[in-house]
Amino acid sequence: MRRHKRKGSKWLVNGILGFICLIWLIPTLGLFISSVRTPSDILQSGWWTIFPHHAWKTADQVTLPKDTDLKQLIGVLGQNYTDDQLKTGVNISDGRRLIWENRRNRIVNVQKKEWTANLNFTLDNYKNVLGGKQYEITQPDGSRKTEKGSNLSRSFINTLTVSIPSTVIPILIASFAAYAFSWMRFPGRKTMFIIVVALLVVPLQVALIPVLKNFTALGLNGNYLGVWIAHTGFGLPLATYFLYSYISQLPRDLFESAFMDGASNFTIFTRLILPLSVPALASIGIFQFLWVWNDYLVALVFIGSQPNVQVLSMRIAEMVGSYGNDWHLLTAASFVSMLMPLAVFFALQKYFVRGLMGGSVKG
Amino acid sequence: MSKQMKRMMPAIVMVLLFSMILSACGGGKKTAEPTSNEPAKTTETTTGQTDTKTEPAPEGSYLDQAYAGKFKGTKVSMFGPFTDVDEQKFNAAIKEFEDKTGIDIQYEGSKEFEATIAIRVDGGNAPDIADFPQPGLLSTFVKQGKVIDITTFMDKAKLEKNYNKSWLDMANMDGPSGKVMAGVWNRSSVKSLVWYPKKQFDAAGYKVPETWDQMMELTKQIAADGDPAWAIGIESGAATGWPGTDWVEDIMLRTTTPENYDKWVKGELPFTSDEVKNAFKIMSDIWLNKDYVYGGVKSIVTTSFGDAPKVLFDNPPKAWLHRQASFITSFFPTTAKAGEDYDWFYLPPIDAKYGKPVLVAGDIYSMFNDRPEVRAVMEFFSTGESIKTWVQSGGVIAPMNDADLNWYSTDVDRRMAELVQSATTIRFDGSDLMVGSVGAGTFWKGMTDYVSGTVDLDGALNEIQSGFKK
Repeated sequence: MRRHKRKGSKWLVNGILGFICLIWLIPTLGLFISSVRTPSDILQSGWWTIFPHHAWKTADQVTLPKDTDLKQLIGVLGQNYTDDQLKTGVNISDGRRLIWENRRNRIVNVQKKEWTANLNFTLDNYKNVLGGKQYEITQPDGSRKTEKGSNLSRSFINTLTVSIPSTVIPILIASFAAYAFSWMRFPGRKTMFIIVVALLVVPLQVALIPVLKNFTALGLNGNYLGVWIAHTGFGLPLATYFLYSYISQLPRDLFESAFMDGASNFTIFTRLILPLSVPALASIGIFQFLWVWNDYLVALVFIGSQPNVQVLSMRIAEMVGSYGNDWHLLTAASFVSMLMPLAVFFALQKYFVRGLMGGSVKG
Repeated sequence: MSKQMKRMMPAIVMVLLFSMILSACGGGKKTAEPTSNEPAKTTETTTGQTDTKTEPAPEGSYLDQAYAGKFKGTKVSMFGPFTDVDEQKFNAAIKEFEDKTGIDIQYEGSKEFEATIAIRVDGGNAPDIADFPQPGLLSTFVKQGKVIDITTFMDKAKLEKNYNKSWLDMANMDGPSGKVMAGVWNRSSVKSLVWYPKKQFDAAGYKVPETWDQMMELTKQIAADGDPAWAIGIESGAATGWPGTDWVEDIMLRTTTPENYDKWVKGELPFTSDEVKNAFKIMSDIWLNKDYVYGGVKSIVTTSFGDAPKVLFDNPPKAWLHRQASFITSFFPTTAKAGEDYDWFYLPPIDAKYGKPVLVAGDIYSMFNDRPEVRAVMEFFSTGESIKTWVQSGGVIAPMNDADLNWYSTDVDRRMAELVQSATTIRFDGSDLMVGSVGAGTFWKGMTDYVSGTVDLDGALNEIQSGFKK
């Protein structure tokens, strides 16, 4: 009886989780399919049409007399229809449908439902994104010259140069701070911690202009150091709070015995805290890395878009062109930019699973 | 004591190490990127001795000095909205100047120019030169006194010779103490154009209309022949509605005086007035007739402005006419040939008494930091030479009078330039001049609501007008 109940609830939980996963996956799948389709296909039909589906196919065409008055009833195959009916399509006998092919030339399509799939794929989007866009520019002498735009590799490296220190620095500082807040006694500890928690709710946007003014005075604008500091500052409150809640939960006995053995705070931090909090470090590391990798605003303000420092998110936004005419490249570009976060996630994922705490106190 | 010291040692070492790493990185970067802090410093030193008027410039203008190699090795930073292919064309256009003078113009293009420039200027990190596609945005900086008056170093007579008066009037903006010539016009585009698939259009026996009535006749005729005449789409993400504002502006210029247009743009003539209402009504005669619009009235709001003209290039065309600025050619199929597969005609006048007005848009280059080499570059931008190769590659119109009509590589482009030169009235895209809350806010939104049928005409006009109160 009890067993049955448990099994049922397990199914329910799994079902709900599966459903949520599906909801999250469908847009990604749609994006991926769109990224291998041609722009005109994307415009004309949805990505789901690549799967076999029932759709109207033209089986026959009827050409009406040129002088057919469109305002009157129109006779097609012995029946009369209005113009509006033919515009939206009108069903006739044995599952066929009539619809205008060309109103001007008075051609009507006779369509039948058939199983079809749009299997017209292309790698052009990826070629353009990875290899750089081709521009055809008319030269003064009238000839057309193809110029190649820059590709993503430069901005990929730039983004790495921004993200790695912007992940490591705040987490390093935050873990020091978290240890101090949870296990060291010093005056003003509570007040300082409250300030850190309070900073969690301050949106970073309000700090942009004041920080930019200071950076301008210090000459930190438009280079990596500035953006590292910015990301560190903006990321610290959350990282500190996150690590504090983990480190403060570590068993007190561990540190007491370590102190007994004459370990200094630094030894405890490096030998005990860091190894024990790997799961927490890994998860906040993933958070911070994803945030920095996907960041647009902070990079826009503090780095700008000079090609030698431009980050991936800005480069991708620029790929769509001045008037957004190359929007179809976004699909492929977002997949390329997704690679790195995915790799980081899967590389660090095992630390979530590995429970380091198990048995640590028993010895 | 010593025990405590011992305990503290590693921490101190770490702090020291960390600060060393930081300063080491900082030092390295600073030498690698001196541009970011140098301009600011030099500006201060030069503004200290900005006695430009007492300096008669005996060696000719700054541009001449630049060509003489006086500013060799200097850098001028520039920030604007050109990205992608536009950025390439821009860089190509200034390359010769850079090679000859040794001035390095460091152009930075951003899709988020409008949002970023305010942050940069407020943050004290203004570029030497910024490129504004919306004079309305520039005017706020002029009011704050952040923009340098170019007449302090440029010859006014020269400017008057090289630009149509309308252009100069548009650059003359209210500063904190009197009028300021806020910049030079460089790239421009023409808006009052109706595109059509030329080959099929001729084959079908249609004639290019000379008056609005003829155009309506043509619309009716195309509808009778079985097609909707117009391809219209106003979807543009957060800016949905803007292509509609161009229509209203164009019709306003054709149904009322330029003075009324100026008043309207300034907010003195309300949207609820008869003049504006009339313009909306004339537009609705086309827009809200389901036989005249491809895909029906409902599809106007959901069709992207860039995708709208694509049906002109179907064979046979599914729609025949598309009113849009000259830039739209970048959305045309790459295989389509100018003058053969497509062409344009001037959106015809409605009332003969208002002549041939032309709606334009353009980029004004403004100066934020005053240094001799920046002056030279600004002077260069006021000449047609600065946009020559761009004009030759197509898609833009040079507003300067010394730009040769022979530069235009196709007849389609050349006729645009001629249109601007022969226009009786030139007016800038009104929504770009209006206050942001209207021009980039309620005007777009009211337009969209009206076309989608959420509100009636009076409701829409009231909605748009309410933006002025914000």
